[in-house]
Amino acid sequence: MDAIEKELDKLTNGGANLSKSIKDIDKCLEMLMDARTTIENDPTATVPTLQALESQLKTGFQLATDSLKGPHGGIAKYGKALDKKFKHSTNENTFGALANRQPLINRAIQMHLLREGNFEIAETFAKEAGIVEGVPSVLDIEFRELFSIQESLRRKELKPAIEWAEKRRDLLESRATNLEFELHRLQYMILLFQGTPDDIPNALAYAKAQFGPFQKKYLTEISQLAGCVVWREKLSMSPYAALIQDESSWQSIIESFTTEFCALLRLSAESPLYVATTAGAIALPTFNKMATIMKAKKTEWTSQNELPVEVPLPDKFKYHSIFVCPVSKEQTTDSNPPMMIPCGHVLAKDTVQKLARGTGSRYKCPYCPADSLPKEAREIYL
Amino acid sequence: MTTKSAAILSADNNLLLEEPLLRLPLEVLRKIFKSSQRYIENDGKKLTELARDAGAKAPQVSQEASLESLNAMITRMQTLKRKMETLHEEEKVVHAQSRKRVSHLNDLHSLSSLLEDGYESWSKIRLDRFMVDYMLRNGYSNSAKQLAQKQGIEELVDVDVFVQCWTIEESLRNKKTTECLAWCAENKNSLKKIKSTLEFELRLQVYIEYVRERKLKEAVTYSRKYLSGSCDTHTTEFLRASCILAFPPERPGPYKALYAEGRWDHLVKTFVSTHHSLYNLPQEPLLHVALAAGLSSLKTPSCHSTLSTRHNTACSVTSLCPICSTELNELAKPVPYGHHTTSWVDHDLIVLPNGRVYGTKRLSDLAGKLGLDSGKYRDPISGEEFERADVRKVFIS
Ligand SMILES: [Zn+2]
Ligand SMILES: [Zn+2]
Repeated sequence: MDAIEKELDKLTNGGANLSKSIKDIDKCLEMLMDARTTIENDPTATVPTLQALESQLKTGFQLATDSLKGPHGGIAKYGKALDKKFKHSTNENTFGALANRQPLINRAIQMHLLREGNFEIAETFAKEAGIVEGVPSVLDIEFRELFSIQESLRRKELKPAIEWAEKRRDLLESRATNLEFELHRLQYMILLFQGTPDDIPNALAYAKAQFGPFQKKYLTEISQLAGCVVWREKLSMSPYAALIQDESSWQSIIESFTTEFCALLRLSAESPLYVATTAGAIALPTFNKMATIMKAKKTEWTSQNELPVEVPLPDKFKYHSIFVCPVSKEQTTDSNPPMMIPCGHVLAKDTVQKLARGTGSRYKCPYCPADSLPKEAREIYL
Repeated sequence: MTTKSAAILSADNNLLLEEPLLRLPLEVLRKIFKSSQRYIENDGKKLTELARDAGAKAPQVSQEASLESLNAMITRMQTLKRKMETLHEEEKVVHAQSRKRVSHLNDLHSLSSLLEDGYESWSKIRLDRFMVDYMLRNGYSNSAKQLAQKQGIEELVDVDVFVQCWTIEESLRNKKTTECLAWCAENKNSLKKIKSTLEFELRLQVYIEYVRERKLKEAVTYSRKYLSGSCDTHTTEFLRASCILAFPPERPGPYKALYAEGRWDHLVKTFVSTHHSLYNLPQEPLLHVALAAGLSSLKTPSCHSTLSTRHNTACSVTSLCPICSTELNELAKPVPYGHHTTSWVDHDLIVLPNGRVYGTKRLSDLAGKLGLDSGKYRDPISGEEFERADVRKVFIS
């Protein structure tokens, strides 16, 4: 990038722009004005003054033209710097796969805009794109609520989030989430540490009223919380300081709230459009290599069932368990599912068939001395 | 099984989609430069001519007349200066814009891991940019402008260029060639360089429309003026075009193709692709490229499985896959799924009596959170509860 910046500097500050030519043109203009003044002051000078103009202008314009060499060369050099930077990093792929799928892409964008709280833009977009079957209006309303609660959490107001969670206690419970308890805990700490000493009874009353339903699951934690009154005067030394002072703990409560909110709508917390385009950008170099290989083989990667090579992605982009049969090296699918054989080892269904030579006779496990019948293998769900 | 290397951020690898970000302003800069060159050349020629004229006539004409011609030259010179100053302002805008873009790419170079927060915010901006690019290419310019403004990325997107392109596209769709021909005139040299046939095809269309309306005289005049010059380079087309005079649209004979409505769509496509190559822009929206690669790399055989075991938002210990989500599921159907050479599973796998396999820790954590009796597990997907005694260990090699 340094080379690019250097060339860009030359364009801006180094004079490789139009400013010099403009000065030359200005000089020509001045010369014409001077000629006028001369003639006006001394009519006898008219003829020689005018006759001198042509060659003066020629010289003047020659200078202006010469000055264009600066920006001309500057732009060329800047272009070369770009060529060099992008020499090995040009996208070679064309993805016909999405060319005719505008309605689906539009819906994904509309949804993303709503998730980000860009409601007005989502509306403009729906209108401009003529989206007919877009995001259901229920979702629109839900996302507005999500966004307004997120906003209040950013202002460190817990009440709307707590109310939301209380109303959905059973649903959240069945998801085994701590969200409601975490919200109450934070509220209690705020009352305790950020109020005046007179507020202590309020904090304790709050704890008594709100922690009740959580007694069974969070017994130890609740008794610790009750005990933390003693830290009130020396908050910074207490183990709880981080909980209410750190921005990150607020960030994490916003994240868990968003996750739970979206999960109840059966949606992932992170925008799928964001995750997919990010993964795609990371994966693109591999796709470029693939494109080269495929071109040589005169096929296209989009025409296959499975990509020909593995795309290295960070672990957080792995959402499903993957089973690759250790014998056939094939990924299992609906039609070739993973099978657990009696010894506890797992093979793909096709592999089991092959090991038994399609006869249903006994075969030996490739990974331990046990042997078994194909019919004893059972399908498992990873 | 951890793949640390996969998290290393190589900025250069991430630049595959960023070339147009700097290329387009460069093309705009070239255009500005060419205009300035043209102005100086044309006005310089004209002004020296005027000076020669005035000098030659000076002995014969009155002083007023001489002053008048001098004043005319001054006015012309002032106009030139103004035009140049306008170009210089435009140039400065492009410089500033390029600087912002370079610094945006530098932000990426300062990161070393794909797991840093910085990468996430950078990637969010990238998605915003790609959405704006997609919107502009589809003519949703208000959405594009609003989004760019809201996200503060106006310097990183190219609204003007795309809006101009879309306006011309629309005029072609309305069967008007004027705007597009003006554009061709403006870019004459660059079009010649890439041997573009756009202008010829536009002219041919104008001619065909005359013939269609049976304005044969106009057709012939137009053809002489604009088409006959290209009869060397486009011999066959030119001859065919001359023949349709004898075949009215009702009885097109062998010339049905020339009368076809589809020619207009073809013109739109030719214009857009010519426009994009002139500006060094990819023919496809960047969003398509990133999205298609992403869909395919993230997709697994489970994502479109007919077994009803996905969409597992039922429980906080599982996270929803973006490909399984309603937003992208349909879109991902035609792309291939990712290739894997090793299994990716939890540690210490156990199988529940219903055949579902989980990591032991995942199940015991869930049991703890749910406050289950110590002898039980709950299947996070199906919700069934099982005795711990009934599970079996699973070995995946
Ligand atoms: Zn075995
Ligand atoms: Zn999935």
